[in-house]
Amino acid sequence: MGIKSYARARAIHAMLVYTGGCNGCDIEIVNAVFSPKYDAEQYKIFLTWNPREADVLIVTGPVTKQNKKPLKEIYKAIPEPKLVIAAGACALMGGVYKNIHGDIPSEEIAGPVEEIIPVDAKIPGCAVRPEDVLAGAVSALPKLLEAK
Amino acid sequence: MDKNVIETEITMGTVHSAAIEPYRVRLFVEDEIVKDAEITVGVNHRGVERIMEGLPVEKANSLTEKICGICSGVHLWNSVLVAEKGLEVEIPERASYIRIIVAELERIHSHLLYLAHGNEVLGHETFSMRLFYIRETVMELLRIIGGNRVQYGVPIIGGIRPRAELDEMKVQKIREGIDYIRGKVKEFADRFTSDPMIMSRITGVCPLNRKDALRLAVTGPTLRATGVEFDTRKEMECYDPFEFDVITQDDGDVKSNLLVRVFEIFESVKIIKQALKNLPEGAVVDRSWEMQDTDITKSYVEAPRGTLYHSYALEDGRVRNVVIRTPSIANIGAMQYALIGHHITDAQLGIVQCDPCFTCTDRAIEIIKRR
Repeated sequence: MGIKSYARARAIHAMLVYTGGCNGCDIEIVNAVFSPKYDAEQYKIFLTWNPREADVLIVTGPVTKQNKKPLKEIYKAIPEPKLVIAAGACALMGGVYKNIHGDIPSEEIAGPVEEIIPVDAKIPGCAVRPEDVLAGAVSALPKLLEAK
Repeated sequence: MDKNVIETEITMGTVHSAAIEPYRVRLFVEDEIVKDAEITVGVNHRGVERIMEGLPVEKANSLTEKICGICSGVHLWNSVLVAEKGLEVEIPERASYIRIIVAELERIHSHLLYLAHGNEVLGHETFSMRLFYIRETVMELLRIIGGNRVQYGVPIIGGIRPRAELDEMKVQKIREGIDYIRGKVKEFADRFTSDPMIMSRITGVCPLNRKDALRLAVTGPTLRATGVEFDTRKEMECYDPFEFDVITQDDGDVKSNLLVRVFEIFESVKIIKQALKNLPEGAVVDRSWEMQDTDITKSYVEAPRGTLYHSYALEDGRVRNVVIRTPSIANIGAMQYALIGHHITDAQLGIVQCDPCFTCTDRAIEIIKRR
């Protein structure tokens, strides 16, 4: 472990971005990081709303058409090395909103997160459970820490 | 230069570090005093009504739950009520009681989230964390009842899902849980109201008077904080067996808004206690109803944020003409109006005091231009 990753491992900042979900996943993620019961801050994972400060981008929601551009810009603003975690059924495959009546795509949804920015880790669930958020973050973090 | 044109504009959003949900705020300021405000939603539009159109009614009902992640249960409840009203389905009394228990638990967790978020905006993280911790108890109770923390899906047409039937163990757990919440929220309220720093920060900030609240058609606790005694629960038949008060405060400022929600938590605890005490015996679901075509049926319930409206018609067992009106769309007016004439540092507090939920507010909007 180099000195960079040693330092990085002690202050991982996660940015949460809403892209049109139902608030369920978002609150569960805030819960996982923030609330005393799950408390990811004890593992030195902090929640931030500033992309330039962030190492990890957590995306929730099916990405509505209006949210596509802001999401790309936020992704660009995060300094390398970065990690993208897609959380919740909507972020993974569009959830219930992706298609109307079988396979007719909805006009409002720009597609799951994967089609817009590269995704490193996926957390399933509707809504995601805080335990799963912690497990997903733990499984994805080595990639961030091993980057030069 | 035209005197009526305000030059300085501060825009936040749609994705901004101060606004957690995606929405856009434009503040027109003069000497750091907000002269006008504009809140725009529309980024979150997913078109749930369009997806519901033409689906079998049971499937469409389960979709309404995905409209909002905070008040998911009450959306499903109202959607089921529309179908039951149209098809004239009588539900067992036990099912009605359990629906109310779930709705009131949901109100408690929504209000606790509001208080936690409000304290975070105030800069008091300790209270915020404590409230998040208390809220976990409610989430655990909802998980025990419905099987999921956020989308528990209790009501179905004709009663409730048999999974959500309350046995002796669940009843005992809910009793212990709400006693714990009551005690903890009371402790919080005592400390909160006796803290001079917080009280001086929130008293008289961004008030909304009664006249304006009625003119803007504000609903829910935000309306009750201005002194209007209106609660849709008092007009619903299923709430008839329960005794509870409609909480009102006088000022309509941040303090009144916070205190209304604190007292409403106590009222919800009261309702749940009565429901558990008088829980009727019998079946929880009556599946003997028959499908038929109906006209457009309307239903109103009291969601944690105010009056929620659903309506649709049934045709060959399929849903037509879905209209959903969430309470926050009315409260946006209150948010804009409360900011005017106040310092710009109070702007975020003024928005948060109305308990915004913009993700469920983004419904299909038709703009009518009048000349």
